[in-house]
Amino acid sequence: MFLRDNPVLTRELLVNLRSNRAFILLFVYVIFLSAVVYFYWPSGEEGARQVGSGTARRLFELFFLGQFFLVALVAPTFAAGTITGEKERRTYEMLLASPLQPSTILVGKLLSSLSYLILLIFSSLPLMILCFLLGGIMLSEITRAYLVLMLAAGTFGLLSVACSSFFRRTSSALVVSYLVILPLAVVCVLLTRTENTLLRDFISIAVLPPWCLAIWAILAIVIIRRLLRPPDVGSEGEVVVDEEQEMKYAIGVVIDRDLFPDKLFAPAKRTDLMPDGTNPVLDKELRSEIFSQGTLMLRVVIQVSMLLSIPLMAGLLFLRSDKAGYYVAYVLTFNLLVGPVFSSGSITQERERQTMSLLLTTLLRPGKILSAKLLAALRVSTVLTFLLTEQLLLAYFLLHELRGRIWTLGVFLLIIATTCLATSTIGLLYSSLSRRTSAALVLTYMTLLILFVGPIGLGWYLQGFGSITPEQLAAFTVTSPFSAAFSIPMHVTKFQENPNETVEISNAVLVSLYPGMSLPVWTWFLAIYPPLCVILYGVTYLAFRWRWWRAGGLG
Amino acid sequence: MIEVRNFTKHYGDFVAVDDLSFTIGRGEVFGFIGPNGAGKSTTIRFLATLLRPTSGSATIGGHSVVDDPMAVRRVIGFMPDDFGVYDGMKVWEFLDFFAVAYEIPQSYRRKIIGEVLELLDLTHKRDDYVNGLSRGMKQRLCLAKTLVHDPPVLILDEPASGLDPRARLEMKALLNELRGMGKTILVSSHILSELADFCTSIGIIERGKLLAAGSIQDIQRQLRAHRVLKVKVLDSSVDRAASILRDDEGVRQVESYDHTLSAEFEGQDEDMARLLGRLIGEGVTVQSFAEEPLSLEEVFMMITKGIVN
Repeated sequence: MFLRDNPVLTRELLVNLRSNRAFILLFVYVIFLSAVVYFYWPSGEEGARQVGSGTARRLFELFFLGQFFLVALVAPTFAAGTITGEKERRTYEMLLASPLQPSTILVGKLLSSLSYLILLIFSSLPLMILCFLLGGIMLSEITRAYLVLMLAAGTFGLLSVACSSFFRRTSSALVVSYLVILPLAVVCVLLTRTENTLLRDFISIAVLPPWCLAIWAILAIVIIRRLLRPPDVGSEGEVVVDEEQEMKYAIGVVIDRDLFPDKLFAPAKRTDLMPDGTNPVLDKELRSEIFSQGTLMLRVVIQVSMLLSIPLMAGLLFLRSDKAGYYVAYVLTFNLLVGPVFSSGSITQERERQTMSLLLTTLLRPGKILSAKLLAALRVSTVLTFLLTEQLLLAYFLLHELRGRIWTLGVFLLIIATTCLATSTIGLLYSSLSRRTSAALVLTYMTLLILFVGPIGLGWYLQGFGSITPEQLAAFTVTSPFSAAFSIPMHVTKFQENPNETVEISNAVLVSLYPGMSLPVWTWFLAIYPPLCVILYGVTYLAFRWRWWRAGGLG
Repeated sequence: MIEVRNFTKHYGDFVAVDDLSFTIGRGEVFGFIGPNGAGKSTTIRFLATLLRPTSGSATIGGHSVVDDPMAVRRVIGFMPDDFGVYDGMKVWEFLDFFAVAYEIPQSYRRKIIGEVLELLDLTHKRDDYVNGLSRGMKQRLCLAKTLVHDPPVLILDEPASGLDPRARLEMKALLNELRGMGKTILVSSHILSELADFCTSIGIIERGKLLAAGSIQDIQRQLRAHRVLKVKVLDSSVDRAASILRDDEGVRQVESYDHTLSAEFEGQDEDMARLLGRLIGEGVTVQSFAEEPLSLEEVFMMITKGIVN
């Protein structure tokens, strides 16, 4: 019943694999991996003599890490929509009312969402074996790597399905899944990549599997219980969220619209009519719609991010103040995850909720609608992101060696603000181009990963080629705020050891994208994004005008 | 007030609406009738400036739907067939939102929102959340939203769909009230009895083609070739009456049950009077003699079966 006659599994597999897209994507993925191996393959005599063990190890690490983060990133995109998708399509009640066991539904949903991912992972096996032929890696290591990948896929998939059962919208489920999974992924990678081979094998084979199995069991029980007695199914799946009622039962952080800083992103509800000249869309987005699905998602996001920021603050700001860039990278990662959620649904949600035609037949001009959408999304994501910078401000205030380089704080804040602008603008662009919020959100994440994280991975890959200079490497990464944050020289000596010692700062790598202009990466980053965002906003405007405001998109 | 000229809409190879033309005068209530998928909503969305036509044009209040959508949006109130509401908003906030979107100054807004709530009997729901309202209430709220800018033209797509019988009657009364206020109304439905009472004219559409348009009487007149006579006689003369009817050259078919004879009749009013005279002249005790009026349903069935064309 679980596998052979599981109608959920059969249906989902049929729908997922019926289109050519899945196979084209698989093909592209294998071609991409092959290219990575091909360019790395030791050429000429070197290859014939099989001395490429260093190369093989590097490739192996690259493959493992790449696939591990692929699992961490892709598993939620498939799994976080499994139950919320049913809720959004209003088929959830029908599914629950069927005689299917909740466990059957769970197994069907999980396997169907992970099957494609597992296919992707195993399609890289022949290439891994090729690296094995180069020497330097043991077969046991490859087996261990695949074991960890499978465990990760299962755990991350189940976590996402659990989130999916708790939230009403795919976007909320997706962002919370990421927020839980990414720290787990980082910890897992750190544990399994120690230089100590014995410890590494012990963790991968003896520690991770039982822990994962225990987590699977707990998550499965939680999900099945929620499927058995769903608390959030009402008339046509619509539930009125009473904020005050929700606050009463909230655990941990409570959002109070009247207090600072909460009122920055959630201004109090109006008690009287809007004053003349108000942009009604902006007013609606900020005062009414922000908590329309309840405050659960925002509360989880704020609490998890704050909790994570405490050890990071200790480690990256107070113990090693030269690593401040890495703390900023954490803040940027947070914005990368949360920023798109608020903007990528801006336009698609009007369509999904069938309010688009009401909005479009008013006298509101497309520019007014879009600017309100962008401002609302930008405001929420910026305020939430800047909540995490208070640790940074504290460090600059308390630590003498950082206070001496106060300008770097300004640059860090500018990089964070620019990133907020970029994530919101790109989210809005996809929202005006897509038909569904989930598609817009996933496309936004993909684009941001390519722009922000891709260059760093590419740089890491290209480091293996001796012929490429650090300047050329840095030039690839100007689109990444992470790279911009790391490019700010932070090598400062500790004040306590010798107060008079001159501050020693390594020279920043200068990049010349334009002849005669050699600037550090962060300058390029700050120079590129604002005009880029203006262009993207222009494209969004045209797309919205053309697709919705005056077109047959609603027909 | 509304003039549609040769409106055609294709979706790829599929022709949703084919060469549609009709005119609706000021103050008329135009019932747009057709089965599901006939092209009603496509036409309505075109008139609501949400759809670009493949060819053809339309004007509302003298403004071109294609070239000057903003002016058209100012004069129309549009209620789509399937609509949603914003989450986390109260009824008055919802109406305020649309009133601001229609550029109504704050001083008027307070008055208008009060009036509209009153008209639609929603005053007691003023502080309720919109997504917690029942279907009927939502439908009324959406109608309230279309009235906040006091448009002279209302375009309502299936305003009574999904409502229970009571809410349906209330919606009907509301539309009657709006007609009394002098608004030009275009209302679509696939439930004919809903429209029969208060429409001044109708248009029947099927598979994207307009089969008939005009006042209900006009359309009935077009169908005059197929009148149905109901003749009620006293007991003793049923058979005689039946034979007289059968003899008449205008009568096609006669059915009788109890004391009532039903005859399909082809001819003018004079022929009908002559037939009555003959019945009485031959001593048939006629209790009543009348043409059975065609119900909208029958008109619709006859037209969509292709009897007219």
